[in-house]
Amino acid sequence: MDAELVRAEGVRRTHAGRVAVADLTLVLARGEVLALLGVNGAGKSTLLRLLAGVLKPDAGTIRIAGEDLLANPSAARRLVGYLPERTALYRELTVVESLDFCLRLRGWRGAAARAARDAAIARCGLADVARRLTGVLSRGQQQRVGVAQAIAHSPALLLLDEPTAGLDPVQAAAFHALVRELRSAAAVVLSTHHLDEARACADRVALLAEGRVREALPRERFAELEARFFAAALGARAA
Amino acid sequence: MSAVLAIARRECRAAFASPLAWTLLAGSCGLAAWWLLLAVDGWSQNAAAIAARPDAPGVTDLVVAPHLASVCALLVAIVPLLTMRSICGERRDGTLPLLFSAGAGDGQIVLGKFLGAFAIALLLVALLVAMPLLLAIGTPLDFGRIAVAALGLALLAGALVAIGVLASSIAHHPATAALGALGAGALLWIVDAAARARGDVNGLVNWLAIPSHLTAALRGVLASVDVAYFVLLAAFCLVLAARFVARTREDG
Repeated sequence: MDAELVRAEGVRRTHAGRVAVADLTLVLARGEVLALLGVNGAGKSTLLRLLAGVLKPDAGTIRIAGEDLLANPSAARRLVGYLPERTALYRELTVVESLDFCLRLRGWRGAAARAARDAAIARCGLADVARRLTGVLSRGQQQRVGVAQAIAHSPALLLLDEPTAGLDPVQAAAFHALVRELRSAAAVVLSTHHLDEARACADRVALLAEGRVREALPRERFAELEARFFAAALGARAA
Repeated sequence: MSAVLAIARRECRAAFASPLAWTLLAGSCGLAAWWLLLAVDGWSQNAAAIAARPDAPGVTDLVVAPHLASVCALLVAIVPLLTMRSICGERRDGTLPLLFSAGAGDGQIVLGKFLGAFAIALLLVALLVAMPLLLAIGTPLDFGRIAVAALGLALLAGALVAIGVLASSIAHHPATAALGALGAGALLWIVDAAARARGDVNGLVNWLAIPSHLTAALRGVLASVDVAYFVLLAAFCLVLAARFVARTREDG
């Protein structure tokens, strides 16, 4: 888990005159699960969108497995899987068709695409609903389809934006187990409001506030983070 | 190119997965069939008198050409309904980040949306043009002229689809997109008549109007300048739509 996979340096992004991510530096190792913890507006989703290549930073560099996301976006994006905050599903497509579409978007074809699709379905436990329309699935199943879409092309980096929002505790626990399982294939960055979720999945937690990483602590020091998180949350609310 | 084709394919699939595309195709065909029957009925009642004239016009002049001219108005009304959800729907459903993160560029997304909707519009044009061809069973038709008119209709459909995709990239609600595209299409249609009413017959406004570039095609003559007009109009709208998609991407 020591080989460096992601290096973001001096990343800055403003939105509508407000600094969403401010001179942020982040390093992530292969196979590592990093939880981004912070209140609404802390910059978690913006940071994930920057890492996914959906947004361009105003300043700074992002390298994924050595590929510069700005200079060589197509090569870097190939290494990234992204689950947006609001799961992006085409409700008129079946699970199989959704995954086929995502793979075709990335240029996958034929037997390789079918094998990748079937592997993603098996990995996310979707075999029973593979031929059903995504629009009729439960929230938990839809979230799994979202993850399957994000991992189908075997990315080295998986970005999950508040992946358990709207899930009941049982579905959330199953999702945490899936994230732990996925770390064998990819590094994971997930954003969350919940310290319990970070505790359940992550090797490291970065506390974000006002677009900056305030703390980044390893698993064994999570307890220290709790008081600071609530202090930051209350501070943000008071502000 | 694979991303463009994947998006176009899904666009077609999405249209036919809902009742909208089926309803629009069936409704358009029903209305056009009714118009055609009225035209055939009018012609058959006067057929003897027309045939007695020295340079009597044929069925292509009296039935098919007016039918295809009315199909133009139908396209102006129907195409905005086909395109209203193309980008606006993705924005509302939150699926654009899926395309962005998969590496689809703004231009690729717009082109894919255009091709998907254009394929459906072409199917509609094919169905509407095929209707009067049935008259060939009982009377001779000028197939060359009909083919040129069909090409003109296809070009019109392409320009209207591009206008619709542009409206959909700007609007936040499909109904607004449909109204915007309908308004733009209708404006490009009537602006010529408005200019003529003011006495302008060869000005820029006349040139910008759709009928100025379609009337000749419906008569069986398609000039390269008319083809260029439709291609440029479509390209302008698609480039602008790509700019609006880029803005959506930047706004997160």
